[in-house]
Amino acid sequence: MRVTQSMLTNNMLSNMSKSYEQMGKYQEQLSTGKKISRPSDDPVVAMKGMNYRSQLTEIEQFQRNIGEVHNWMNNSDAALDKTTKALQRLRELAVQASNDTYETGQRENIAEEVKQLKAHLKDLANTKVNNKYIFNGTNTSEPPVTVNVGDGSLSKNFNQEFVNMEVSAGTKLNVNVDGNKVFGKDLFANVDQFIDNLSSGEGLEESIAAIDRNINDVVNTRADLGARMNRVELVEDRLSSQEVMANRILSDNEDAELEKVITKLKTQESVHRAALSVGARIIQPTLMDFLR
Amino acid sequence: MGSTFNGLEVAKRAMYAQQSALYTTGHNISNANTPGYSRQRVNFEQTAPYPPASRNRPEIPGQVGSGVEAGTIERVRESFLDAQYRGENTKAGYWSTKAEALQKMEEIMNEPSENGLSKTMDQFWQSLQDLSTNPKDEGARSVVRQRGTAVAETFNYLSDSLQGIQTDFKNQIDITAKDISSIAKQIKDINDQIGDVEPHGYLPNDLYDKRDQLVDELSELVDIKVSTVETSDSSLEIAEGKYTIEIIGASEPLVDGKNNSYRELDVVYASDGADGEDADGPVTKLAMIDPKSKDDAVTSSLSGASLDALGSGKLKGLMESYGYKAEGAEQGIYPDMLTELDKLAAGFADSFNSIHKSGLSLNEMNGVEDEDYDGNFFTKSAETEGYAGSMAVASGIKNDLFNIAAEADGNDPTLGGGENAIKLGEASDSIVIDGKTTSFNSYYEGMIGEMAVESQEARRLEGNSETLKQSVEERRQSVSGVSLDEEMSNIIKYQHAYNAAARNLTTIDEMLDKIINGMGRVGR
Repeated sequence: MRVTQSMLTNNMLSNMSKSYEQMGKYQEQLSTGKKISRPSDDPVVAMKGMNYRSQLTEIEQFQRNIGEVHNWMNNSDAALDKTTKALQRLRELAVQASNDTYETGQRENIAEEVKQLKAHLKDLANTKVNNKYIFNGTNTSEPPVTVNVGDGSLSKNFNQEFVNMEVSAGTKLNVNVDGNKVFGKDLFANVDQFIDNLSSGEGLEESIAAIDRNINDVVNTRADLGARMNRVELVEDRLSSQEVMANRILSDNEDAELEKVITKLKTQESVHRAALSVGARIIQPTLMDFLR
Repeated sequence: MGSTFNGLEVAKRAMYAQQSALYTTGHNISNANTPGYSRQRVNFEQTAPYPPASRNRPEIPGQVGSGVEAGTIERVRESFLDAQYRGENTKAGYWSTKAEALQKMEEIMNEPSENGLSKTMDQFWQSLQDLSTNPKDEGARSVVRQRGTAVAETFNYLSDSLQGIQTDFKNQIDITAKDISSIAKQIKDINDQIGDVEPHGYLPNDLYDKRDQLVDELSELVDIKVSTVETSDSSLEIAEGKYTIEIIGASEPLVDGKNNSYRELDVVYASDGADGEDADGPVTKLAMIDPKSKDDAVTSSLSGASLDALGSGKLKGLMESYGYKAEGAEQGIYPDMLTELDKLAAGFADSFNSIHKSGLSLNEMNGVEDEDYDGNFFTKSAETEGYAGSMAVASGIKNDLFNIAAEADGNDPTLGGGENAIKLGEASDSIVIDGKTTSFNSYYEGMIGEMAVESQEARRLEGNSETLKQSVEERRQSVSGVSLDEEMSNIIKYQHAYNAAARNLTTIDEMLDKIINGMGRVGR
């Protein structure tokens, strides 16, 4: 084949531009840290990347939801703990009062404390976290127990809907405690009865038994809550390992391996230098340089 | 015997011939860097010998040669390589246009990234999850509204940007059609000039070069077929004649060498307006207009489905990007993506709205009447076409956060219930597009994936056709390119021949001197 100077020049130029293109690609990979910069660089990587990103967002969101779940459960547990303590104090007082050596005056003093405890229990039933009544089902904006203005008696209206939160795709967890089970049925009636019994001095044994039943209710409810808290921890563990995995897959999928890219860049650089120096040698001399 | 001065004539002719070869060499060197130039060569021919074979020829032994003359000056070129080059050039034009169109689309879609549609949807979903855990919280509601607006605006942005680029393509189509018409006219003009020169027995090499260069340019724009028409019987055997150029798929030639005419190309768009003035629709046909009559109704055209018949080239690439009508339906890279976006937006908005409608808003539970509110979260998609561009958060939601329906309509709905928010979060998992239930993510990933594969293919074929084009160009250069080394050697060759001819002249001169001045002096 007949080869002319301009063919060599053109060839060299096109080779140089290809070489620059390669180096540009490596430079882009190094500066972005990504293997690809647009979907067409590798459609599969791009589609997977979109998918993994959504997964990661989902995991992060479920973790955020679990924070909220913890908020509900821990606060419910703490409130129930206080309820137990209050009930235990009531039982103590009942046992004390049932002692025949106690006189009417002393029992009235006890009744005063019981009234305070009743108010405390009412407050516990109306526990508010984050501006939400946590023992009133989904009706979080209204207190379940209200004091009637006239006679100071209590009215109860417990919403028994589950408060559900999604903790992983499709898995909804019931995060609240049914206030009715603890405070609803007969707790306040029992306390009122106890106060009555204190003034009469009769039936204190029954009150002890009644309070025991209430304590039992709380313990059962807490056991159920505890089991659910346990499950949340399991889900939480799974989410955090999923998060690590999703991040790794995302990174494996689209992050550039620096050592690989740098090595390739270095290789390309030396090829480029060689091309330059060869070009410099070939382009220069023509027959004109040797004829006179 | 020949005449006395025959030798002088022979030497003179040789000097002339070598001189013309030297001039041609000079011309070659001068044009070493002229694009489209093919090197020229002088075809030396022996002149007729003496005596010619005839009845009253002198009785001398054998025929004596009478020297040389510059017969023709011909360009060194291989038309087979031209055809090959143009074939590759037209493909390169087509694929590079498509690759560019798809690359722009990829830039707009911007996936995978932290700010594409996919991410916006993820964030919207997040806000709904947050709402489900805090349904009464106005902050959570306001975030849902904002993220919903972001989803609508992202659709708007994608749709608007794609349409913007699409409009650019329309301008490019018009410019390309003008280019084609202008090149056709120039080729026709050169045809005319060639027609004036060739019958005189000349080879207008520089006109040939110029014309071939124009044809090369044209081949990038449309797929063409070139054939030649002889200008006259008196033209040389190796004269190239006039070019007739046909666009592949067209029923009429673009340049007609036989009738000395050309056609202008006019792109006809479907019009939306009844008056036919609003011609923003897809390309419906390419009309070939006679520049004299200016009447495209008279001339035939590429119409309807036969746009597909257009072989390749930049114009086809542009039309495929912009959109054209084939068999009654609009096709094209940009229209397709816009349609997909519309379907996706409408499918999502519809399923989201219906879930939203089934829920209860705070206002509904509080018994507050809001005439502005019809239960929709996003504006309704009465018509899918153009929905992505017009999608917005419904005014009821825009004006009042309490219209967001977070609670499901169930047994004991309460203000703090967030069951419907969870359902809304699941809305994108099952949306209906073209009667099929699919998920937003997988449909969208499919769209992006298809675009990516198409773009990858276009880029690869762009590279391939570019490489092939270059290698043909190299072979063409190998035949037609000027080599300075070669020209220098030729200069030496011709110079030596010229010198030798001059020496020959001197020799004859001395010989004659002997005859004229040195002979016939016997006895003096």
